[in-house]
Amino acid sequence: MEKTSGVIDKLYAYIYLRGFKIWSSYRTQMILNVLSWALPVFTYYFVGTSLGGNLVEKIGVPDYTAFVVIGLAFQGYVSSIITTISQRLRNEQVYGTIEYYVLSSGGVVSFLFYSVLWGFVINTISAGVTLSIGLILKVHYDVNLLTTFIIILLLLLSTIGFSMISAGFTMMVKQGNPIAFFFSTFTTLMSGTVFPVTILPTPVKDVSLAIPLTWALNGLRLSMLSGEGVIQLANIIGVLILFNVILLPLGIGFYSYSFKRARKKGTLSEY
Amino acid sequence: MIKVVNVSKTFKTGGKEVKALNNVSFELEKGKIGALVGHNGAGKTTLIKILSTLIIPDSGDAYINGYSVTKQEKEVRRNIGTMMVSERAFYYRLSGFDNLVFFGIIQGLSVSEAKRVANEVLELVGLSEWKDVQYMKYSTGMQRKLALARALILDPPVILLDEPTLGMDVVSSRDFRSLIKVISKEKTILLTSHNMKEVEDLADKIIVLKRGNLIAEGSKEDILAKLGKVKLVSVRDVPRGFDKYVVGYDNGIFFLRVPESESISGNVIKEESPTLEDVFVYLMGEEIDSTRNKSRRGGWRRRVE
Repeated sequence: MEKTSGVIDKLYAYIYLRGFKIWSSYRTQMILNVLSWALPVFTYYFVGTSLGGNLVEKIGVPDYTAFVVIGLAFQGYVSSIITTISQRLRNEQVYGTIEYYVLSSGGVVSFLFYSVLWGFVINTISAGVTLSIGLILKVHYDVNLLTTFIIILLLLLSTIGFSMISAGFTMMVKQGNPIAFFFSTFTTLMSGTVFPVTILPTPVKDVSLAIPLTWALNGLRLSMLSGEGVIQLANIIGVLILFNVILLPLGIGFYSYSFKRARKKGTLSEY
Repeated sequence: MIKVVNVSKTFKTGGKEVKALNNVSFELEKGKIGALVGHNGAGKTTLIKILSTLIIPDSGDAYINGYSVTKQEKEVRRNIGTMMVSERAFYYRLSGFDNLVFFGIIQGLSVSEAKRVANEVLELVGLSEWKDVQYMKYSTGMQRKLALARALILDPPVILLDEPTLGMDVVSSRDFRSLIKVISKEKTILLTSHNMKEVEDLADKIIVLKRGNLIAEGSKEDILAKLGKVKLVSVRDVPRGFDKYVVGYDNGIFFLRVPESESISGNVIKEESPTLEDVFVYLMGEEIDSTRNKSRRGGWRRRVE
């Protein structure tokens, strides 16, 4: 039989069938998800309000609500996608479907890529909800669309790189994934999501600068709140490109190696 | 056509090396049904997974319609449909139809093609009425049928089935065998099974594996001939001179494998020709050791029960 599926067909399969149809079949989970996107914004809004404007300004944040809204909206892109991918891979092992992805026409790279896209879709909705709440809380947006788009794209690509490394670990060690653990627990602390990294102790601050999200959040705040353009943010965009140059080949290499190793050891569907 | 050439595979488990397959070679001609039989751990699933490109062999190679499983993985994958032993392997919250459409698309079909083919294969396996029901509500038999339907989505020339009727009741199992017969008219099928009745019913060629070694292969007649021209006799007392023919004992009944030329008198409960299951028990070396009069695992006992 001649094969003709393209990107749109794959999107239908991964985003609509496996993503939305299954996600929306768990009604309670769907409602809780939406609440989990909305509630942290209010939490930090009241933290900022109770601290008072002067105190927050001392750490270099003139509008704390705007700072937090951007941080929370986009932190999910990284932590949630990476942990979702690891969990997805493990689920497929548990379900016994992982072998069918290996046998599929796009192989396991296609599986991961489209799974990331589902994470991207769900986190874009999450970001939309968070940014809308920001509007209600009187955050003033001055968005440079091109710069914002470029930074989100670069952030997403670096996230794919990390996702591949993380998924490779899941394939090799099954449980106890250090990459997923790091991103699910440390990004809020270390990437400037709810406070600027400038207040961190120097060694921790250095580590935070090795995380693409730290740079991306910095860039997104400037492009979405101050309307800064590509030229003004060239240094941030350059650093993000550098991350991608390193992370993407590393991720693809490690991910492919982990599957080949599993096929040699016969542990593909073990979990 | 399937060709396996000197395939070996060793796994390391808990610091020990386990030889799953040892220099296994055989061929299955186009349009034939082959059955891999052997105990759990004999290497059947490992071989099916090697043929599916899911496990890489340590040495040797195998060919699906001429394509090497070690060097031409993509071509092999286009030529096979697989049904693995896993009970899950579908999305529980999606309907049977949506599951097939999903797997059709990831195998390369467009949405419209996948929907058309899903309807066709659901019709073929008799699940059309249940197509919109969630997979989690399917019975075991229906789940296995859906797995077969998935293997047929691309209409591949070679189908690999790992214990296709596992967990099915007698009627569903018979139903499923009929289905395999229908499909086999145009395809080469290799299946694994513990059910000798199923193997007897379906297989043109039987491949017997024991601890990773191929110990016998051939048609049903070839395999039956391994026992020679014998008859199986059940008696309450073993006549003098017939001790050497005792191959089983259970609950006061002795089971003897006697050359057809010999006649046995008195106390005969039953006399019959050997079945494939008898030969399998013989090949696995699990009959009674008549020299020590001690039953090992009692394959004959199963026949009596």
